[in-house]
Amino acid sequence: MRTPMSVLRLPRGPDPNSRGFDPNSPRFIALCSTTISSSTDTETDSVQIGEEQCARSMLRESFLRTLIAMTNKQVQFYMYERVKVNAVFGASDIDVLNFQVSDLQTPIGVQKEALLRCQDVILYSFDL
Amino acid sequence: MAMRQTPLTCSGHTRPVVDLAFSGITPYGYFLISACKDGKPMLRQGDTGDWIGTFLGHKGAVWGATLNKEATKAATAAADFTAKVWDAVSGDEVLTLAHKHIVKSVNFTQDSSCLLTGGNDKTIRIYDINKPEAEPQEITGHTSAIKKALWCNNDTQILSAADDKTVRLWDRTSTAVVKQLSFDMSVSSMEYIPDGEVLVITYGKTIAFYNALSLDLIKTVDAPASIHSASLHPDKDFFVAGGDDFKLYKYDYSTKEELESYKGHFGPVHCVRFSPDGELYASGSEDGTLRLWQTEVGKTYGLWKCVLPEELVSENSDTIYCTPAAPEIKA
Repeated sequence: MRTPMSVLRLPRGPDPNSRGFDPNSPRFIALCSTTISSSTDTETDSVQIGEEQCARSMLRESFLRTLIAMTNKQVQFYMYERVKVNAVFGASDIDVLNFQVSDLQTPIGVQKEALLRCQDVILYSFDL
Repeated sequence: MAMRQTPLTCSGHTRPVVDLAFSGITPYGYFLISACKDGKPMLRQGDTGDWIGTFLGHKGAVWGATLNKEATKAATAAADFTAKVWDAVSGDEVLTLAHKHIVKSVNFTQDSSCLLTGGNDKTIRIYDINKPEAEPQEITGHTSAIKKALWCNNDTQILSAADDKTVRLWDRTSTAVVKQLSFDMSVSSMEYIPDGEVLVITYGKTIAFYNALSLDLIKTVDAPASIHSASLHPDKDFFVAGGDDFKLYKYDYSTKEELESYKGHFGPVHCVRFSPDGELYASGSEDGTLRLWQTEVGKTYGLWKCVLPEELVSENSDTIYCTPAAPEIKA
C-alpha cells in the first residue's frame, strides 16, 4: 500500500466578503501604480498622481456619504429597459454590486425586500 | 518509496468548471484562471491553488477563460453574449465586447494586443484591444458553433474547432482556410503547444496529436472512457486526459502506455492543463472543483511536501498532514 503524499495545507478558498485582488500584495503594488492615472500612455509625475489621488479620495468619500444619507429614504432608481422604480434604500454591499432595498414598487406589486443589481442601475435620485 | 497521489482541491465555484488556463511564468510565479457556469471566473496562484480574486461582471455562465503570458490581462467568454477583458492584477473589467450569441472561446496573441473570440454565432473575430471601438476582423466558414479558437504559428494563423466536426487552420491576413480536418464526431477539446508546433485534439475516447503547421497526424491514443480534455507536458514525455468517468489518466507520450489513473472528482472532468513548468496539472470538473495533481508524485513542490517516514510519526508534525486521494473532503 502506497503512502499518500503529504500536503502542507489545503489551497485557500475565496473570501466571502470581497472579490479579492489584495491591493497589499507585492504583485499589486508593483504592477498597479499605473492604474492610478486614467491616461495610460502619458508620463505622469508624482505631483500629478498625488493630485489625481486627492480628487479620487474626495469623490469616493462624497459617494460613500451619499449612501449614508440615502439610508431609509425613498429613492427613485432609473434602470435599463426604461425601468423606473421607487424603493426605500437600505444598504449597499462592499463592492457596490447590490443595493438592499425595501418596499420596492414594481409594476406587478410591492416587493417587501429586494436586492437591486447595481450594474443595471443607470441613475438614482433622492431628496435630502 | 512509492507515494500515492494527493490532489489539492480548490473550492469556491458553485457550478461546473468548464475551462481553465495557465499564464506563463512571471516574476510572481504563474497563475490559473477557471471558467465556471456560475458566471464568476476566478484567478488562482498556479502552484498552490490559492484563490487570488474573482472577476465579477458577467451575467451568464462563463464558457472560456484565458490569461496573457504575463498574467496582467485576463479574458473571458460567456453565455451573456459578451467577451470581457480584465486587468488580472486589480480584477477590474477593462473591456466588454458584445457578440450576437454565446461566446465560447477567447485567446490573446503573444503580445496581448489582439483577442481572438469564437462562439455560437459561428464567426471567429479578432479584436484590437487598443482600439476596441473599431470593428473586429471577422472570419466565417464554420457551419456550427465554434468551441475553441486559438492563435498559432506566431499569431499568423488561427486554429478553430467547431461542432460541425471540423478543425480548420486559417490564415490571419487573408482569412482563408489553409487546411481542414474532418472527424466523425465533434471535437471536445483542443490544445496548441507552440514549442514544437503540436496540436492536441480530443474526440470520443481518442486523444490525437497533430503537427500544428501541416495538420498531419502524429499519433492517436484511445482511452477507456469518453475524453473531454487532454494536455501534453511541456517536455512532451507525458500527457494527461480526463472525461466522462471522472478519472484523470496519465500516459507516456512516446509509448502511448497508460501509466496511472486517478480518482478524485465527483463528476465528469471538463478540462485539464499542465502548468507552464510541467510540475503539476489542473483539472476542472462538473463537480464544481478544480484539482491540482503532481506530475511527479513524491516531489516537494507547492503545497506538496515529501515527508520521510520518521517525520510522519514525530511529535512536531502538526503542520504536515496526510490526506488520502480518496475519499475526498467534500468541497
